[in-house]
Amino acid sequence: MNNSFLDYYSLQPVTSWIHDALCSVMPEALAIFLECVVIGVVLVALYAVLAIILIYMERKVCAAFQCRIGPNRVGGKGGLMQVPADVLKILTKEIIRLKNSDHLLYDLAPYLVILASILTFSCLPWNKGAQVLDMNIGILFVLAASSIGVVGILLAGWASNNKYTMIGAVRSGAMIISYELSMGIIVLAMVVLSETTSLSGIVEGQANGWNIFKGHIAAILAFVVFLIAGNAEANRGPFDLAEAEQELLAGYHTEYSGLHFGFFYLAEYLNLFITAGFASTLFLGGWMPLHVAGLDAFNNVMDYIPGFVWFFGKTFFVVWLLMWIKWTFVRLRIDQVLTFEWKYLMPTSLLLLVLMVVLKVSGLVF
Amino acid sequence: MDIKDKILKIVPEVTFTEQGDTVAVVPLASFRKLAEALRHDPEDAMDFMRDIVGMDWGETLGALYYLESTTSNRRITLRTETDNRENPVIPSVCDLWATAQIKEREAHDFFGIIFTGNPDLRRLFLREDWVGYPFRKDYDMKSNPLNMTNEEDDDVAPTYELGSKGELICGKNVVFAPEEFVINMGPQHPSTHGALRMRISLDGETVKRVDPVCGYIHRGIEKMNESLTYPQTLALTDRLDYLSAHQSRHALCMCIEKAAGIEISERAKYIRTIMDELQRIDSHLLYFSCLVLDMGGFTPFFYGFREREMVLDIFEETTGGRLIQNYNMIGGVQADLHPDFQKKVKAFIKHMRGIVHEYHEIFTGNVIVTSRMKGVGVLSREDVISYGATGGTGRASGWSNDVRKHHPYGVYDKVEFKEILRTEGDSFARYMVRMDEIMESLHIIEQLIDNIPEGEYRVKTKPIIRVPEGIYSQSVETSRGEFDVILESHGDKSPYRLHYRSACLPLVHTLDKACRGWKIADLIVIGASIDLVIPDIDR
Amino acid sequence: MSKFSNYINGYFSGLKTLLIGMRTSIRVYFRKNVTEQYPENRHTTLHIPERHRGTLVMPHDENNQHRCVACGLCQMACPNGTIKVTSEMVEGEDGKKRKVLVNYEYDLGSCMFCELCVNACPHDAIRFSNDFENAVFQREKLLQKLNHEGSSVVKK
Repeated sequence: MNNSFLDYYSLQPVTSWIHDALCSVMPEALAIFLECVVIGVVLVALYAVLAIILIYMERKVCAAFQCRIGPNRVGGKGGLMQVPADVLKILTKEIIRLKNSDHLLYDLAPYLVILASILTFSCLPWNKGAQVLDMNIGILFVLAASSIGVVGILLAGWASNNKYTMIGAVRSGAMIISYELSMGIIVLAMVVLSETTSLSGIVEGQANGWNIFKGHIAAILAFVVFLIAGNAEANRGPFDLAEAEQELLAGYHTEYSGLHFGFFYLAEYLNLFITAGFASTLFLGGWMPLHVAGLDAFNNVMDYIPGFVWFFGKTFFVVWLLMWIKWTFVRLRIDQVLTFEWKYLMPTSLLLLVLMVVLKVSGLVF
Repeated sequence: MDIKDKILKIVPEVTFTEQGDTVAVVPLASFRKLAEALRHDPEDAMDFMRDIVGMDWGETLGALYYLESTTSNRRITLRTETDNRENPVIPSVCDLWATAQIKEREAHDFFGIIFTGNPDLRRLFLREDWVGYPFRKDYDMKSNPLNMTNEEDDDVAPTYELGSKGELICGKNVVFAPEEFVINMGPQHPSTHGALRMRISLDGETVKRVDPVCGYIHRGIEKMNESLTYPQTLALTDRLDYLSAHQSRHALCMCIEKAAGIEISERAKYIRTIMDELQRIDSHLLYFSCLVLDMGGFTPFFYGFREREMVLDIFEETTGGRLIQNYNMIGGVQADLHPDFQKKVKAFIKHMRGIVHEYHEIFTGNVIVTSRMKGVGVLSREDVISYGATGGTGRASGWSNDVRKHHPYGVYDKVEFKEILRTEGDSFARYMVRMDEIMESLHIIEQLIDNIPEGEYRVKTKPIIRVPEGIYSQSVETSRGEFDVILESHGDKSPYRLHYRSACLPLVHTLDKACRGWKIADLIVIGASIDLVIPDIDR
Repeated sequence: MSKFSNYINGYFSGLKTLLIGMRTSIRVYFRKNVTEQYPENRHTTLHIPERHRGTLVMPHDENNQHRCVACGLCQMACPNGTIKVTSEMVEGEDGKKRKVLVNYEYDLGSCMFCELCVNACPHDAIRFSNDFENAVFQREKLLQKLNHEGSSVVKK
């Protein structure tokens, strides 16, 4: 296996060079602090830019599913400036505090949601040597951090002092807690396959073939289950009943306006991206190029494509898959969502875990 | 046995008026007895109450009761009245026909008639603090200046009984107890299809009671009619049920033509029938779209609109309007068919037949859809008849109620078509009835489109139309059920009273029955599957 | 056991219906869009049928003459009081006094396009045009004077 090009695109030398350069002019603690600030800013900026791209993509994709064109006025023929214009509008809107709401919790809730989202976001491995949070329990940390979001949603629903938001929040809580089980079990199955919980380790392990090929039947099914559970985690259709417009207006964020609403909105879209990102990390090899055993010329060409292009390509493909699902199906009812999880998805994921272990132990995976 | 003889056998004092429709004038004292006897008649029970029409005959206040038998489809109209204008008391019949409950509320709201025994005699359309009864002829139009404050919702419904000495005793029925978790849905809510407002008592997510609050787009069309000439009243029917614009206007035209003795040409009848069916397709496509949208599916919503657009284009070519067409006129139709009409309709039929499978693939067959709609919100056959829930909602519960079959008008007696019936009575059956009716309407249009006879599309009428004295009625099958026009004329150029039987008012009344015990999400689906158009309820 | 096989059957048949739905939606995804681009298509594909009722107009011929004799039938036919006909009595050349139209006022804001006025007119002096772009910023602008300045009734 010729990995020279992967090394060529690695960001490791760049980051260590920056670190050394900073250390030569200031104490190491200050250098680390500075680096943290810069990385934080880059993350948040990337977060916002990705949200804009995702919203634009969603609007165009759903338009195509619906025999429409989608945004096409603001900023030239493609409507490219539509979403930035919307962002600008949201930024200028007044943040309204309700008289009878619990002010502290009401203001806290959107930050909790966005915090959970950014924490998980920063665990994504973008490229070789470009992963912000990389620890040996990486994937478990992701599961833990993403659960903070549900606290924010529950708080938002409760603190708004509105019956609709309350129902939406309780729905969301019940749903996310249930679907986290399937999600966790599937992640465990993939950990079994990769023999590590570190995210960078999982990606490195796929150098000789993506997990979805290595684990074949079990991994493909696990991929589907992961997408469904992830979709539910991200509160997206057909599991969008926490903010079921036709029933609960906007669900838990009915009473939010301006930037606070913007946070919920942002987090929602980024959760979609994060779900897709972890799906591509766990199953589709993250930033690893596509390699076909025996076709060395082809593999070499694939290696020329930088890792982050692979990552974004795969992730946006999964995002598109999720949009396809969302724009095809109608919404489930709360009891059906829970029935679906406990009667169908959970047993399936448990079976998959067992199957994966059996395959792994008997050496039937590649 | 003739229905008249039967009535005379029960109550010999009944007299019959024959001006226009046959109306049995029943003395107030024996009205209740007659109603009970007709309702429970073992051989031909009058089990379907079409409507209660409140009336002010100057000296007396009273009501017309339109009854029909679901077995023989025979119809009879009862009239009863009281000369006490201070406290006009008529015994309630809501224990015999469930629909009477809401119809009596309407008559109470407009005429101040007190129906003793009705458990919930709140105002239906007007505000709780409204002064006077606006449909009475002596109502002072200045007594209710524009009110700038909201009224308080009354959680207690008044109910009246007659005491032993004939005095009125006002009781109270609790609608919502203070400890109940009541959420307010509407009038501004994405899935109330207009300005319907519902108050819903919840237990967790489970619906315990639904209380529809109507009247947010009440325009007083019936009151306005009393000061308009006959041609002018036509313009308002399109604004009742805007998805049955042709059909409701067809009913009013036929009613006036029948009353004034105007014979219309065969061509006009064909055109009207074709337009009615196109309108039905238009409405059912929108029904599909809205139902899908209410369940959270956005993509199929656009499928329905895609095809509906073609129907609207066909409408616009010929009638000049897309939603409000103003096409039927007294004596015929406004304009002859557009030269392209037949070609476009045929193209549409072909297109619709070829594309309807997409609807079924993406929506009907989907496991999420079937699990959300099958067995949900079941209305039994007895329920729909008692509530008077006509149209697709009734037919989904196995009640054969198609006016086109039982009381044909237009050229429906010349075409061959099936009445779509289902027996499940759940949301899915209500949905499938509509989808099958689209195909059946295509079938009807296909039979007519090539056989439109030549002739004039509109006969000349006098510039001022006067209708001879009497009570006339005409029913049609609109997209949502039976729509009746009830016209009382005193020989003037404008009607003395022109009442419309709204197809949707009984439907909204069934909501409480259908939704109890189901979830909020089901309430939305049941509401959408029952197919409500709010301007038709409020009028 | 049958319960379990029901469960398995339900599982897979349900999955199949979901896949059928996704197949349909992806077909439409690659199909041509059906929306029209208004106002870009104003002079190309936009088709407003002749009979569409956009606004009431009083046609004038090349001599600035209309056919309105100010009889007021349209005003009487209108259910909304949308039309106001002002006329005056003018002595003609033959010495007979004749009603002449001064001002034909039409309120687009309260018109409900029922076409009763056009039906009532004995001289075809008014008709509906299919010009539908009638939005204005001030309500007063909806009050239109339909007879042109200095116009007169056509002589028969």
